[in-house]
Amino acid sequence: MEVDAPITTDRPQLLLDGFSCSYPDSDSFALREVSLTVGSGEFVVLAGRSGSGKSSLLKAACGLIPHFHGGTVSGTVMVGGRDTSEFGPGDLADLVGYLAQDPETQVVSTTVSAEIELPLRFRGDGDAARARAVEEVALALAIPDLLDRTVASLSGGELQRVALAAALVTRPSLILLDEPTSQLDPVAGDELIWLLRRLNEEWGVSVVLAEHRLERCLAAADRVVAMDRGSVAFDGRPEGFLEFALAVEPALATPAARMFSLAGLPSLPVGVRQARSALSGLVSAPGADRSDRNRSGDPTVRVGNGRALRCEDLWVELSSAGRSADVLRGVDLAVEPGEKVALMGRNGAGKSTLLRAAAGLVPPVAGKVVVRGGVALLTQNPGDYLVRESVGAELEGPGGRAALDAVGLEVDPSVDPRDLSGGERQRLALAIALAGRTEGDALPDLVALDEPTRGMDRSLKDGLAHLIETIAERGAAVVVATHDVEFAAGFADRVILLGDGELIADSDTGEVLAGGWYFATEISRVLDMPGVVTVEDGVVALGQMTGREGPE
Amino acid sequence: MVLLAGTLGAALAGVGAGCGRAVLFSIKIGGAIAALMILVNGLVTERGATVLLRLGEWPLFGAVDVTAEALMAGAVIGLRALGTMVVIGVWSAAVDPDRVLTSVHRVARRSALTATLVSRLVPLAVADQARLAEASSLRGPAATPVGKAAAARRLLAGSLDRSVDVAATLELRGYSIGNKDSAPARRRSRHDRRFLLSGLAILAALTVNLLAGGSQFDPYPTITWHFGPTSLLLAAVLVLGGLVTRSGSGGIRGS
Repeated sequence: MEVDAPITTDRPQLLLDGFSCSYPDSDSFALREVSLTVGSGEFVVLAGRSGSGKSSLLKAACGLIPHFHGGTVSGTVMVGGRDTSEFGPGDLADLVGYLAQDPETQVVSTTVSAEIELPLRFRGDGDAARARAVEEVALALAIPDLLDRTVASLSGGELQRVALAAALVTRPSLILLDEPTSQLDPVAGDELIWLLRRLNEEWGVSVVLAEHRLERCLAAADRVVAMDRGSVAFDGRPEGFLEFALAVEPALATPAARMFSLAGLPSLPVGVRQARSALSGLVSAPGADRSDRNRSGDPTVRVGNGRALRCEDLWVELSSAGRSADVLRGVDLAVEPGEKVALMGRNGAGKSTLLRAAAGLVPPVAGKVVVRGGVALLTQNPGDYLVRESVGAELEGPGGRAALDAVGLEVDPSVDPRDLSGGERQRLALAIALAGRTEGDALPDLVALDEPTRGMDRSLKDGLAHLIETIAERGAAVVVATHDVEFAAGFADRVILLGDGELIADSDTGEVLAGGWYFATEISRVLDMPGVVTVEDGVVALGQMTGREGPE
Repeated sequence: MVLLAGTLGAALAGVGAGCGRAVLFSIKIGGAIAALMILVNGLVTERGATVLLRLGEWPLFGAVDVTAEALMAGAVIGLRALGTMVVIGVWSAAVDPDRVLTSVHRVARRSALTATLVSRLVPLAVADQARLAEASSLRGPAATPVGKAAAARRLLAGSLDRSVDVAATLELRGYSIGNKDSAPARRRSRHDRRFLLSGLAILAALTVNLLAGGSQFDPYPTITWHFGPTSLLLAAVLVLGGLVTRSGSGGIRGS
């Protein structure tokens, strides 16, 4: 393990000393001999592939392990001087707050104000103290206008902020967050990270943040702890982490770091600002040459026959809480077989509704949507497709086997779907959606996936991108609704951007994901050059600018 | 008359609170139930002196005569159903369950929390069920169909998983530390006095009416009713009480 941690004499907010744990009925260790400290006011990013132990570490740090989840533990975990073997989560609530991925299960009251004051009620605080604490935390998180709202009326980003407020209202000195941006769009995700930075820099709250999309948060971090199979593989400064990642675990390196490394440039940048600063010394200012940028007005809009999917002035209205609203407004688009399309936009822009309309789940109120050759749709929750006790029970006969073959899933039919990995469960769910819609080697004209990369590390996303490529090569159009800009840049030929139900951009990936602020890759924000969105694009561009060729 | 006034009062209160859609929906459902009550009672009840229609012999029913009295009795039953639907509709749309639980918190703390969780989790379970049904419809034709038993098992498993997560959240919020927790904050409203006075007025009118013997209504053998001044007063108070949610700015809006 590489350690490059600063020495501090303050009592640590969090101390793990040789801590190991395993869950009930499990033979393997979730955490092995983990030793680390988090000092007062530190911002620590927890990195690692899926299943590496990040979530288990966070649960141990707030007492859920062992008091709630049980299992076998050894070693010590101290939070603010309290041993978690003696103090449970409730006893630690004034010292540590915890925020998980899914905001729905972290909000237990029906109104925002009731939710935020709940921990204070359990603590027995008086009316005046509670009112003040709720007001303070609402102002800190910029949600005072939500206090009178019901939680059912909140968006995902708002719900996550309310859950964070409830975790912070007791003024803990340490906050633990387990992939809190995984279900948020780029705008809401960036806002949450910004809030955490403010909490850390202005109010001295120590932050331990587990994240897969490290390009979002690395610049804010004082330290990075990388987990691998339950052990700490790296603990040190972000710069050192990037060197470690490129050498040992490339899937963890940020796009900018990979680009710099492949281009043979010295030093690895932590964040866009550092990257731009580093490049300004080597080349002319990034983005200075914008002569090639199309400034003629509307971005290029694709036209075509739409043999796989065609929408003509599509309007879809949905009802929620007794009110109807137009979710799609006059959308025109055409997708051809074999195309790989990323459908992007903020939460509520209409991405999922467009896919559901294509699958026939919601009827248009005006216009039409045409899918000639069948559609297979995988929704945001692949687990909803898995209802039986074995893979074989879900997919029987030649149709089932053909579908498994189409998604490249080779498992024993007797295996319980719940015992599969996350990526395998997703493939199984896609196979269930495809079963019987394949004819020989042919697939349905349209294969649609809704937010398939939630909670996935980069290696799993690469696997998914490869699957999408395979499906497209077999003639199906693949349309993926996603918030993940880097993933979209990696797999898509084309990006469709929706805004408030309207189509606001429809063009090549390089055109749509370059030059923006939120819907732009890290490479694009570093180089700000038309058409340069992926690491490979960036390496080529840097080579042209510097006249040097990067390593093979 | 009192039933009608109470239903009207509840509807007015709902509209005034900005829940017109809920009131309309409740009236539609309640109206359909009421119409059914009138029809069924008219066909199956053999009582009443004023025959309006003779429909002859029906299998199982025998001679079917529709009397005005049976229709009126059915109408009263239907009106009770309609009134109940409107009240429930307005309650669901306009009343903050957390505030109701505040009022019972001191009496039954754990029950109040349980009720809060039910209010929160039941809609989530309904949404889960809708999602599972959607996923079921998206299965390919060669995938094993999902029967009701399998769907129910899956829904139950998902609900149990969510319950575990919610329990963890309550632990993290400090539920188990055993302090005598304080009552939820009661946020004052400038309309509190108005609602209190309206409630007292309705209670007073109801008490007076009961002490005075109330109103009398008997549909059989012929329709007879008697409404004394106290009944009229109660009806008036119920209708006027429904205006309690009206304000100068067009109605009281709240969570």
